[in-house]
Amino acid sequence: MIGAIKGLAGVLLAAAMLYGMQRTTPLYSDIISPVPVAGRQGERVDTSAFAIGVADVHLAREVMASSFGRTRTYTTSGVWVIIEAAAAAKQESLSLTSAKWLGPNGVRHALSQRFSAMSGMLGSERLEPGIPRPMLMAFEVPESQLSGATLLIARSALTPLAEEAWIEMTDVRAQDIRPAVTLGRGNRSQPWTLEAE
Amino acid sequence: MTVRQRLLAILITGIGGTAAAAASFAMAVYDAANPEGVALVAAGEPVDTGRWIVTVRKARAGPTPPTGIEPLEPKTFVMVEFDADNRSAETSNVLTRLLAIDPPVPNLPDPIVYLTRDGWVAGGISPGMPERMIAAWEWPPALPPPRTLRLLIGSQIYKRRDNLYGASGWFDRDPVAAVELSVSPAAAEMAQ
Repeated sequence: MIGAIKGLAGVLLAAAMLYGMQRTTPLYSDIISPVPVAGRQGERVDTSAFAIGVADVHLAREVMASSFGRTRTYTTSGVWVIIEAAAAAKQESLSLTSAKWLGPNGVRHALSQRFSAMSGMLGSERLEPGIPRPMLMAFEVPESQLSGATLLIARSALTPLAEEAWIEMTDVRAQDIRPAVTLGRGNRSQPWTLEAE
Repeated sequence: MTVRQRLLAILITGIGGTAAAAASFAMAVYDAANPEGVALVAAGEPVDTGRWIVTVRKARAGPTPPTGIEPLEPKTFVMVEFDADNRSAETSNVLTRLLAIDPPVPNLPDPIVYLTRDGWVAGGISPGMPERMIAAWEWPPALPPPRTLRLLIGSQIYKRRDNLYGASGWFDRDPVAAVELSVSPAAAEMAQ
């Protein structure tokens, strides 16, 4: 009788342990996810491959930009977040291709594809080691996801275990939303011009 | 335990296991032989497809794509207006496979999806920002534009751990609903 109870208890214990292990096993996507490197808005963030600093953040309801010689108005159902930053490679030439706006509710907003032809846009030019270059980013984000967000920047969204800069956006407030921002073409050292209304 | 008892136990487990396997196989065969038809929804009715909540609104045909600029050589576009709300945690493109013409039209290229509000090609749609969009099919010149259109709305499911890597992701599934639309010919008023 005692032996049967002991056997049963052993089986139950084993089942509970297996269940616990099954529930707590990290997902494969978590195991190979990028390694975050924490930073803050306005400060330089150093990862092993590149360094980046976010200078200015502009919020706007509309963006005017010239594409193929015509000025177009780009509307959004949320808010445009235009980020002016500077980045440099460290050891080898590379391109930064992945930027995401991680809202306070955990949703990841991808870079807006609507200005992909704009010069200076993230991913449009290669970074050389030791030469900082200005870099532009544009996101369309719901108004509730502005403050308390984190900007995630990596060489590529898919490279396992690569470093990703997690820049805490401390100075983004919904009352700073402007009616419109105009993006224009700049020169070689500053590829764009930005005017806020 | 006697030999007789042991044999009986083996016999019972054998019969039970065989019966379970047979029942499971028969159910699989029955399901394959009698596929469940997709539900027909009315235009303007939201459909939960897993990753998206899709509302198909109306269809029209005409020579002007949603950009408002007619191509140099005249073409016919079949355009379907729909709303989509991303229910996942990440920005995603509205897959061209989300809406499929049923029965399939041979040699029909994938549609291009435009935003209704500014006629620009729709990129990724973010969660919390539902958008109204127009899917535009460039209709083959050999075929007359359709009077009615039957669309299948595709679906996707979320797997926390997929079968290959144990990674989480979204996977295509069978269409969940069909919608029938009458195609209004916009050619007449567009020509003026």
